[in-house]
Amino acid sequence: MKKNHIGTIKNIKEINKTVYSVEFSSPTLKNITPGEYVSILCEDLTLRRPFSVADFENGTVKVLIKKRGKGTQYLSNLKVGDKIEFSAPLGNTFKLENKKTLLIGAGIGVAPLFYLNKKLKEIGVETYFAAGFLTKDDILGDFDFVSTDDGSKGEKGSICDFLKLLIAGVKPQKIVCCAPHPVLKIIATEAAKKGIECEVCMEKIMACGIGVCRGCVIQIEKDGKIENATVCKDGPVFNGKEVVW
Amino acid sequence: MVSKKVDLSVKIKDFKLKNPIITASGTYGYNNEFDAFCDVKKLGAVVTKGITVEARAGNDGDRIFETTGGMINRIGLENVGIQTFIEEKLPVLQKCGIDFILNVAGSTPENYIELAKIAQENNFKAIELNVSCPNVKCGCIEYGVNKQALYELVLMVRKHFDNCLIVKLSPNVTSPEEMATAAQSAGADAVSAINTVRGMGIKLDFVNGEFRKTSVAGGLSGKTIKPVALSFVDRISKVIDIPIIGMGGIYTLNDVFEFFSVGAKAVQIGTANFTHPDIAEKLVDDLEKFMIENNFKTIDELQKKLMEA
Repeated sequence: MKKNHIGTIKNIKEINKTVYSVEFSSPTLKNITPGEYVSILCEDLTLRRPFSVADFENGTVKVLIKKRGKGTQYLSNLKVGDKIEFSAPLGNTFKLENKKTLLIGAGIGVAPLFYLNKKLKEIGVETYFAAGFLTKDDILGDFDFVSTDDGSKGEKGSICDFLKLLIAGVKPQKIVCCAPHPVLKIIATEAAKKGIECEVCMEKIMACGIGVCRGCVIQIEKDGKIENATVCKDGPVFNGKEVVW
Repeated sequence: MVSKKVDLSVKIKDFKLKNPIITASGTYGYNNEFDAFCDVKKLGAVVTKGITVEARAGNDGDRIFETTGGMINRIGLENVGIQTFIEEKLPVLQKCGIDFILNVAGSTPENYIELAKIAQENNFKAIELNVSCPNVKCGCIEYGVNKQALYELVLMVRKHFDNCLIVKLSPNVTSPEEMATAAQSAGADAVSAINTVRGMGIKLDFVNGEFRKTSVAGGLSGKTIKPVALSFVDRISKVIDIPIIGMGGIYTLNDVFEFFSVGAKAVQIGTANFTHPDIAEKLVDDLEKFMIENNFKTIDELQKKLMEA
């Protein structure tokens, strides 16, 4: 199966001032597993833009796009029926395991966790979804626990401030998180300390999307050996214990 | 769309390529990684990622910066090293029937000799010398920007490698003519041009009254460098007789023709593989279609016509 697709925009809606939900489908894209991502060609930009998949249902991909630069600006201006070119599925997947799972997202990082949460629930896994945002206007959906930096909704503070409480309360067998790098580091470190399995979903500027250009490497430690791993192909999902933070 | 009427093949010394569309080093992996997007064996050749004697981890920090119409990279030659290439990557190339050019890089003359010898032992059809590396034994001057250093390096490699020897020229020089002439005089069978253009990308944020700056200095590639590349190829084609493989910002068949028109005999596709991962195969198809529709029987014939234009 070739991984380049032409898709049609099915739905696009503004969730808040900066985040859009964009849904599209392509007859050539058959399946996406949680964790895998899509990379979308944006007009005349050199590099495709990678996005986590927030849902995949009946052949329709849903991504959440936060307006940051030219690529996301272009995507947020698309209309239903417009055509886009994209690569998918790319990257590795979360492990779908029957373990009580605490999902932790921060900001736009909640996107891939929506799809993972749905799939975990489908196979009967008990999950608890916690998310942190800057303000109540930035909240992207419904969660079991929410914190905001300014306290305008949910608990006041960063999601990291509630990490120990969440772990103590939920007693997860596994933690899965997607957030900015410093937040992932804090969560992975705490999980390791508590001996809880932890998967982190990472982000980095990418060029090829298939591991060949080595532009998006991070360091991981396996069997006492430090080596490079590409976020685009070996990731975006990594074992939190293996990442060299 | 295979037609007996058109012959897309080109020959560089004894290295016969099915067609003149080659993928550039560093943008296409080691072998069939792009099979998810492309029928890689249809391409004229794949130039491997730059290979060094020992494996290299590459640079720390940000490695990529997108610019208007292009990108800057500072990967730092991360690669698996020649032994792993031969053990793990080569069998895939052979099994898939992919023609390839081994891109070799080193920081000492001995590195290049060793790689040339290994390429010879394995009877590789072609190697491309990456000369944009500093010579650590010689004041860290890049081979590719010093005509004497380049001449000596090519001469030395030539002694150890009999098949097609391609020298990839750096655009970061005062006189492209002198560098191309040095490569030819030292016995190169072809040159490829251009390697990336030295550049820097800067991103500034103004937060809480303070500037935050991130910068990436490295090699600029993509559409934005096409005029630099065309001028370079045009200039060197007037002073050397060996074939030129043109590259720099090629995205369309028309771009390929522009390079043919200034003297390139084949082309490499680089950054465009990131934008359009299926582009190399499309260019082969487009070229064949154009030749069929317009009654060109050989690439030579097409090139002559373009050079007369």
